[in-house]
Amino acid sequence: MTWQLITADGVEAAHGLAADEVLCRQVGAGRSPATLRLYTYRSHCALVGRFQNLAQELHLDYCEGHDVQINRRPTGGGAILMGRDQLGITVALNGRGPAMHGRARDLMEQFSGGLLHGLQQLGVAAKFRGKNDLEVGGRKIAGLGIYRDSNGGLLFHGSLLVDLDVPLMARVLRTPFTTIGNRELRIIAKRTTTVREQRGDSIGIEDVRQCVANGFEESFGIRLQRSEHSDEELAAIDALAQDKYFTRAWLHQRSNVPDLSGRQSIRTDAGSIEARVSMAGKTIKSAILLGDFFADEDAIVDLEGRLRWHSSDAAAIEETIREWAYATSTNGLDPVAIAKVVLAATEGATEDIDDTVPYGCFVTPTQPTTPTDG
Amino acid sequence: MNTEPVFDTPDDRHYSREHNIWAQRDDTGRVRVGVDSFLLSSLGELAYIALFDPGMAVTRGHSIGTLEAAKMTTSITAPISGIITAINEAVLADPQLINRDSYSEGWLAELDPTNWEAESSQLVTGDDIPAWAEESRQRLSDEAEYKG
Repeated sequence: MTWQLITADGVEAAHGLAADEVLCRQVGAGRSPATLRLYTYRSHCALVGRFQNLAQELHLDYCEGHDVQINRRPTGGGAILMGRDQLGITVALNGRGPAMHGRARDLMEQFSGGLLHGLQQLGVAAKFRGKNDLEVGGRKIAGLGIYRDSNGGLLFHGSLLVDLDVPLMARVLRTPFTTIGNRELRIIAKRTTTVREQRGDSIGIEDVRQCVANGFEESFGIRLQRSEHSDEELAAIDALAQDKYFTRAWLHQRSNVPDLSGRQSIRTDAGSIEARVSMAGKTIKSAILLGDFFADEDAIVDLEGRLRWHSSDAAAIEETIREWAYATSTNGLDPVAIAKVVLAATEGATEDIDDTVPYGCFVTPTQPTTPTDG
Repeated sequence: MNTEPVFDTPDDRHYSREHNIWAQRDDTGRVRVGVDSFLLSSLGELAYIALFDPGMAVTRGHSIGTLEAAKMTTSITAPISGIITAINEAVLADPQLINRDSYSEGWLAELDPTNWEAESSQLVTGDDIPAWAEESRQRLSDEAEYKG
């Protein structure tokens, strides 16, 4: 089985996203072969998830003043900053076959397998965690997403941090902090890692791209053949960029589902715990646990991962935290108290934008440390 | 604790085989559409939904909106052609209504069909539902792997 491999660098935001969507559509309709696209955006582009509110996730004034292009992905998840040091990974497959029906999780694991094999070749031991993250020692190195179109096309998106300018990211993406100083930047940096940091060198994007391509060949048992967009694809990409990705209607759309944020603190024998939640209506998008308690950082990261995209139903939260406590060393943290504070944060969540916890792919810290606004 | 999911397929409606959307025609000829339990199982908790506005013409096999769920974002595919006459405002504000009750309160849109007789014959209904449901259940329990 042969897939086409398409590479590009310095891609504009609208055309980069349009190219992915066109590939998904063409491959789904059987007009293009299965495709792996490995590319970089121009420095820099800020891309929000399918239903995110631009103003809530991005510092729009900064973007406008510093030539940061903004756009909206067809895939869900959090806002990301892309540029020459972040590798965009797209796999477009025909999802019409019976074995492709549903089971997004299994397919996501196979997709992430390609990336994991590539990272392995680079000497980086990452693992799939939560619903759509690749992490190294609890620090996020890539974010993943899936989109399925009506044609049967399946689009897998990934953004791999080859390197990251954390101060720039904090100026472009809104963070859970009200002010950004060295301490906050350290907290964010500690929750993310990059290929270059892991390797301790300045490996070039081309070498990373080659290893990722090799990883997909291994994971999917396919051969890649270098290719270019067909004339039909190029015309469709340009049309879609104009008709959709450049339009205000696409960029500034708002969902009827309110974005809510809540926080609540509790004192326990093990220390104080603060829960901060970001919610889409009744769904917890992310939960952060802060405070002066002592706990295994991995255990806290694990719990936050379990609560991501989780129902705010009380019984469901309690069950998840019970399962977490059963599977993890909680260092004396009382799971009942944690459930209580998380529930209180969800129940008190409001639409107050000044109190909003943004949902950035790489900017949501999970250190058990009190943020500076307190 | 892992429990086998329960898939419900009421026999009073039609189902699109590939896109897992149900369609139910009422006495006035209008057709309500919604998400079936197999698609719901693949998606997980729903967070956001966008639907085309009433008055828009939709074609069978084409998108009528988009859903973002825990596991993926997906286009919602029209099982039949028609004009959208209503959308369920309640699910726009609370998409988890679909998780709670996808066959009744969690309906998505209502259409005035333009080709019901021909198109509904391509949907699964009546005595064909049990075999289709079993096949769908089996697909979900088999490990999905891309084989080209």
